[in-house]
Amino acid sequence: MPKTDDDALGPALERRLRRELNRVQPRFSSPRYASAAHPRVRTWRLAPVALGVSLVSILALSAFVATGSANPVVWTQRVVTVIDSNPPPTSEPSPAQPKAAPPAGAAHTPEHQAPATSEPREGSETPEPGRTPEPTESPEPSDSHSGSDGAGDSSHGSPAPIDH
Amino acid sequence: MPALADLDSEAYEPGSREDFDRLYRTAYPRVYRTLAAILGDREAAEDCVQDAFVQAFQAWKRWRPDAPAEAWVHRIAVNRAISYRRSAKLRQIGEVVRRLGRPVHPADPADIAAQGDLLTALRSLPPKLAAAIVLRHYHGYNNREIAAALGVSERTVGTRLRQAGERLRAVLQPSFSLDAAGAFPSDQRELYAED
Repeated sequence: MPKTDDDALGPALERRLRRELNRVQPRFSSPRYASAAHPRVRTWRLAPVALGVSLVSILALSAFVATGSANPVVWTQRVVTVIDSNPPPTSEPSPAQPKAAPPAGAAHTPEHQAPATSEPREGSETPEPGRTPEPTESPEPSDSHSGSDGAGDSSHGSPAPIDH
Repeated sequence: MPALADLDSEAYEPGSREDFDRLYRTAYPRVYRTLAAILGDREAAEDCVQDAFVQAFQAWKRWRPDAPAEAWVHRIAVNRAISYRRSAKLRQIGEVVRRLGRPVHPADPADIAAQGDLLTALRSLPPKLAAAIVLRHYHGYNNREIAAALGVSERTVGTRLRQAGERLRAVLQPSFSLDAAGAFPSDQRELYAED
């Protein structure tokens, strides 16, 4: 290889430089680049594990926020109660049938039976607070044919005049 | 000492692991000696060369064979050595402050034995000048290859070689004049103080 004209050192100094540098023997250690290539592979292998851990932590955090408890047992109880509160789809149709049946002839009975069981509700739901006490009293006499209250009174009173 | 063109006679394929291993086996001792001359510290030279090969390996797929592969690794390694020397100066300042009043530990005898006067003088030069000297006068690079190795123009290489020669002569003048008096017969006029 021909050198250009920039030979700053003479031949003597050049020989000396070679002699001194040839005395420097490199220690052949294992190439660092060979071991540096592994960490990337390891990190990619660990990626699915990191993904799974992050998913579990997100789920745990959301469960903690939903239940307000850090106890996993509480989370499972919460799930059970949510599932138990939803099954009714099978029991809903059966109450619908009794509601459909009454209109035929027993229109009065549901109305009268319902106040008997839920008197305070109806009383509270009535828009006119002045009449609230009345529905509570009316069902009891209604069992003895409430539609003819005046007639009943006259019938009770009628024997007397008849006796007269 | 084989020339750079001979070492690169077999073409390297960018990205090939086998070719990089071959480059490592061929270029490691040469790059190591270059950095040993620049840094004057075997462990630091080894560390920097290993770092340079790690960096080169990461960029091996992007390497373009328009310049010799060893010159490309040399460029990375010299830049690494420059950074090392820069940080070493800062560390030295901290060490001096910390060791004020304490006895100084003697240097490693192996390093002292391996370092001749010339290597000590090379270490006193700026790294880019020392690298130009070693690449030219030890590895036999021409100006184009040195330019590729240092990332400068060939004209700059000529300037650096001239400056490095003048500074080396100035440093080595007392001892060198005894055993090689006729080495520099004409150029004795410009002397530079040691860094």
